[in-house]
Amino acid sequence: MAEIVLRDVTKLFGHTIGVDGIDLDVPDGAFVVLLGPTGAGKTTTLRLIAGLEKPDRGEITIGGRSVVDETPAQRDVAMVFQQYSLYPHMTVRENLAFPLKSPILNTPPAEIERKVAEVAEVLRIPHKLDNKATQLSGGEMQRVSIGRALVRDPAIYLMDEPLSSLDAKLRSELRVELKRIQADLGATLLYVTHDQIEAMTMATHIGVLDRGRLVQFGPPREIYENPASEYVATRLGLPRINLLPTGLFGGAPSGAAHIGLRPEHIVLNGEGGKSATVTRVEHLGDQTRVHLEVDGHVLTTLADAHSTLDHGDRVAVTPHQPLFFDAAGNRVV
Amino acid sequence: MTDTAIDKIAQRTPTRVARKVRGLSDRAIAWLFVGPTIFLLLAINIFPLIWTVYLSFTNFRANRPNREVEWVGLRNYERILTDSDIWLNMQATAHFLFWTIVFQVLIGFALAYLINKKFRGNDLWTTIIVLPMMLSPAVVGNFWTFLYQPQIGLFNYIIAFFIGADPSSFEMIGSVTLAPWSIVIVDTWMWTPFVMLICLAGLRSIPDYIYEAAEIDRASKWRQFWTITVPMVLPFLMLAVLFRGIENFKMFDLVVQLTGGGPGSITELASINLKREAFEKWRTGYSSAYAIILFVTVFGLASIYVKALNKVKER
Repeated sequence: MAEIVLRDVTKLFGHTIGVDGIDLDVPDGAFVVLLGPTGAGKTTTLRLIAGLEKPDRGEITIGGRSVVDETPAQRDVAMVFQQYSLYPHMTVRENLAFPLKSPILNTPPAEIERKVAEVAEVLRIPHKLDNKATQLSGGEMQRVSIGRALVRDPAIYLMDEPLSSLDAKLRSELRVELKRIQADLGATLLYVTHDQIEAMTMATHIGVLDRGRLVQFGPPREIYENPASEYVATRLGLPRINLLPTGLFGGAPSGAAHIGLRPEHIVLNGEGGKSATVTRVEHLGDQTRVHLEVDGHVLTTLADAHSTLDHGDRVAVTPHQPLFFDAAGNRVV
Repeated sequence: MTDTAIDKIAQRTPTRVARKVRGLSDRAIAWLFVGPTIFLLLAINIFPLIWTVYLSFTNFRANRPNREVEWVGLRNYERILTDSDIWLNMQATAHFLFWTIVFQVLIGFALAYLINKKFRGNDLWTTIIVLPMMLSPAVVGNFWTFLYQPQIGLFNYIIAFFIGADPSSFEMIGSVTLAPWSIVIVDTWMWTPFVMLICLAGLRSIPDYIYEAAEIDRASKWRQFWTITVPMVLPFLMLAVLFRGIENFKMFDLVVQLTGGGPGSITELASINLKREAFEKWRTGYSSAYAIILFVTVFGLASIYVKALNKVKER
């Protein structure tokens, strides 16, 4: 296991910026989730660390060793690709055994057999071992692809949206399983996802990327509670943070242009609240999502599961320790 | 007046007949469309095949159509299969077939592998390499006879330059030992591009991310080649071998133009020999039997091969 350090890593694709001067310290044994919309540079960051791309500038070290000039094989990383990338002409067993058969590892056949069986068990695919890779469903393919990373004992694991193609049930099971495996192995894991539940539940650290730049890095709670900008604040939280003009509620610090309200920042029907109209109520079972209109601005918040609010009701809205941002979107404290 | 007459006739016509005349049934239309094709197929493919089978049991000679045709049973087959000259023709065919396939597969695959590397102008190189394939076999045969000329031939000159001998000290077409190789060389020159194109299609069908995954899985380039590239191109390669095999089994024009089967009958492939029997010696019955034997051989080998090919594809 090893820590990863990126210093001023930059990668250009022609005139497009893939990654722009990223500094990142991934401690040994950390589970780091990279968040950001498509094109933010998450996958490029993984590929740079894996050695599938060469940085135009900057330094990458794994376990204290500079790896910029090393091949992926020398770096000893395992990677789960977003598009499965199984070997289509091989069976599941052969796919899983492939990394172990590397001459660098020189694993004895009995050991290969044992490890493959073990990983297949964890990923619930032992009955598929003799199927060809092309005969699997999307979810099964992705599990094999995760398995191919897990059979090895690499310095670091890199995973590019490994659970995105699985159904909800399997996803939540594997989420727990992956977290357990990572904790057991004490492995350093870099993980790309769009799914904020994955990010919040699995990560020890979250890195938020915006157009190739790392805009904030820290523990999930800090990213959630203390976002550095509107951009970071909108990455996490369901329903999304409400961003409204400060004039609507008053009490804003100087320089603030927007007030950011997460559901927990909103007190409904408190003392001296601003009047709002309920425009829509969504009962999700364990919670109720309430859409409000305040002076022509839309606001979404949560009410308890048994809320009796209905369309057209009037409620009072009071901000409670909200977040403030300036006109450029930066946090104002 | 006339209108009413027509109306009356129309009214009296039974509806069943009327429907039949007005519209044909779907099945009838289907037959109408397929019919001409089936007729042509029967007339120019199936009937001659059956007729050939019949003729192979007779002593019919096409240059004497009025002579009485005698049923000879299996005698034609017996004579062919016990004729040592024909076995020599078969050997020449096997030699040609084997070595052209070996060379074309090796060189074709190697070229495809090189062309598939991303470099500037690889499209231009592909076009240049593919050119020989676009020429007429007769033309190729003709100009290679010039290249093979001991006195003025470029081929002899280049070989002589490398081995340090006199260009006119050897004759590719005239020599008993070299002639079989001269036809192998020309066919390889002409048809390697075809094998290359098919291999190239195979290579291009392997997505980059497979190699990336292998790179991550710490497979060396050598191992990637043998565990990913070769198995994934194999079905394509086997298809190319099938095409070339069938084509070269019936090879005629190129070799006739180049060596005419000589010297002696050392490069007389089965198809050339067959043409001689049928249209120079006019032994129609005998050559029909010969044709059937060749057909069964190709068909049998190809069927076995296609089975193997499907197995590889399933893998």
